[in-house]
Amino acid sequence: MIRAENLTKHFGRTVAVDGVSFEVARGEIVGFLGPNGAGKTTTMRILATFLPATAGTAIVAGFDVFRDSLEVRRRIGYLPETVPLYSEMRVSEYLVYRGRLKGLRGKALRQRMEEALDVCGLTTARRSVIGTLSKGFRQRVGLADALIHDPDVLILDEPTLGLDPQQIRQIRTLIKQLGERHTILLSSHILSEVQMICNRVLIIKAGRIVAADTTENLLSLLKGVTRVTVETQAPQDAAAAALRALPGITAVAIRQERDWNIVTCECAQGVDPRLEIFQLMAAKKWPTRELRLERRNLEDVFMEITVASNGANASVNPDENREPFPTIEEHRT
Amino acid sequence: MNNFGTIWRRELSASFLSPIAYVTMVVFLGVTNGTFLVAVLRNLGSYEPIAGILFAAIFLWLPILVTVTCMRLFAEEKRSGTIEALLTAPVTELEIVLGKYAAALSFTLLTVAPAVAAIFILERLSPGLRMADVDPGAIAAGCVILALLSAFLTAVGLLVSLLTKNQIVSAIACFCCVCTALMAGWLVSLVPGMPPELIQYISATQHIEEFTRGIVNADPFVLWGSGTVLLLFFAVRVLEARRWL
Repeated sequence: MIRAENLTKHFGRTVAVDGVSFEVARGEIVGFLGPNGAGKTTTMRILATFLPATAGTAIVAGFDVFRDSLEVRRRIGYLPETVPLYSEMRVSEYLVYRGRLKGLRGKALRQRMEEALDVCGLTTARRSVIGTLSKGFRQRVGLADALIHDPDVLILDEPTLGLDPQQIRQIRTLIKQLGERHTILLSSHILSEVQMICNRVLIIKAGRIVAADTTENLLSLLKGVTRVTVETQAPQDAAAAALRALPGITAVAIRQERDWNIVTCECAQGVDPRLEIFQLMAAKKWPTRELRLERRNLEDVFMEITVASNGANASVNPDENREPFPTIEEHRT
Repeated sequence: MNNFGTIWRRELSASFLSPIAYVTMVVFLGVTNGTFLVAVLRNLGSYEPIAGILFAAIFLWLPILVTVTCMRLFAEEKRSGTIEALLTAPVTELEIVLGKYAAALSFTLLTVAPAVAAIFILERLSPGLRMADVDPGAIAAGCVILALLSAFLTAVGLLVSLLTKNQIVSAIACFCCVCTALMAGWLVSLVPGMPPELIQYISATQHIEEFTRGIVNADPFVLWGSGTVLLLFFAVRVLEARRWL
């Protein structure tokens, strides 16, 4: 449904997008991740025909975004990052206007508007002036606009940006529902959200795609899929030696918090050593009050790919107390 | 061109959803008719054609009206980001430019029309006023030249608005360009050796004076008609350039 080949975009001397290639199949929901300034919005703007690429090609819904831009625009629903709306209009007036621009007329327009209002939970706000709406409702109006002509492809740039947790949950549910009928490419900073919604993830860094796979495959790339934390009063040296000796544990780190030692064990892929650790602690009669398994998530993958080799992107650090895991090699599919 | 009407309607209705439109209309009507009234009182007893006085008052304030109308056309869309939504909808650049242009011109003409009507009110209220007879032909010709010049100046304003996203910059640049267009004849006359025919041909004041005396000729149609088409063509190309650069 979407095919980008070697997309490149220069703004003067700045390279915003540098030879980006990827595909999104029909019916997929693909998450586009990357730190600020990585090139997500620029890539989406190129796909939405708002910006021309300096080099490369992009095919959306079977049409070239440069040569058949009008045909592409007929087949996409695009929600820009800033959700630009005419604040003086009412919701229904705005959707009628947008529907007309997208070729809908008469009964079809009214029907599609009702559907879009219903799907986006805007039925009660249809008479409201857009300028008086909350951020969440404005986001919904933007989504309803993107949906009104029932496009094949939805390109959503940060659809949950600036929303409160309840609104994020609502929009997330909505996108999941839309994914049943549309091909969706969405960008987000909320990694858990992408992990929950998307079938596949593209990670872009400094204008290049550095990872493109399902979240499960990306997670499996991490060395040491799991980490076990033990809070114990065992002697530090003895505990470290005993834990290191257990099968599947690749590394042990200990720090002290008051009377307790916090022991972090990194484990080999597929290994869950909690039972062995419990038995060890019991056999040695070392007082233990917690044994916790931490699963690696998309955030870890994202951090390893985007932050580990570039300290400038520290703004997306998920947990500063965490020790960085070993980095994975650049991964392309 | 299916979307021309849609854009025209939205732009025109958006003007009237904002208080600026009503303020602009009232202020323009006030200052124009005020100027007209003062000019009429100063010319009492003279044989100055009343249509000439009226249209002189309107043309004096027209650059400000055009500036206020055009400054937000594209600048506001760029500032608020709505241009992104508009340009990623299945709409051609020609439809966008013509829709916005038609809406701006409609608003200008709707604002100017009541000012022209002042002449009929004055005629009815002051039957014994000693001035030259009101010539309906001169008024009709004056309306034609007013519409022509408004069309041309609106095209100038639209193109200027397209080149910036700051409304203040847009307003200042638009006012300067509109004034330059109106003073083109005088500016060219400053250049030594310019043929008088050329100066007369591009002189807005010359054409306005002739038309408001009821003397109609094709020159302003050709000059401002072709100028309008050319400016709108440039506006379409400027908007399209975003897809090439």
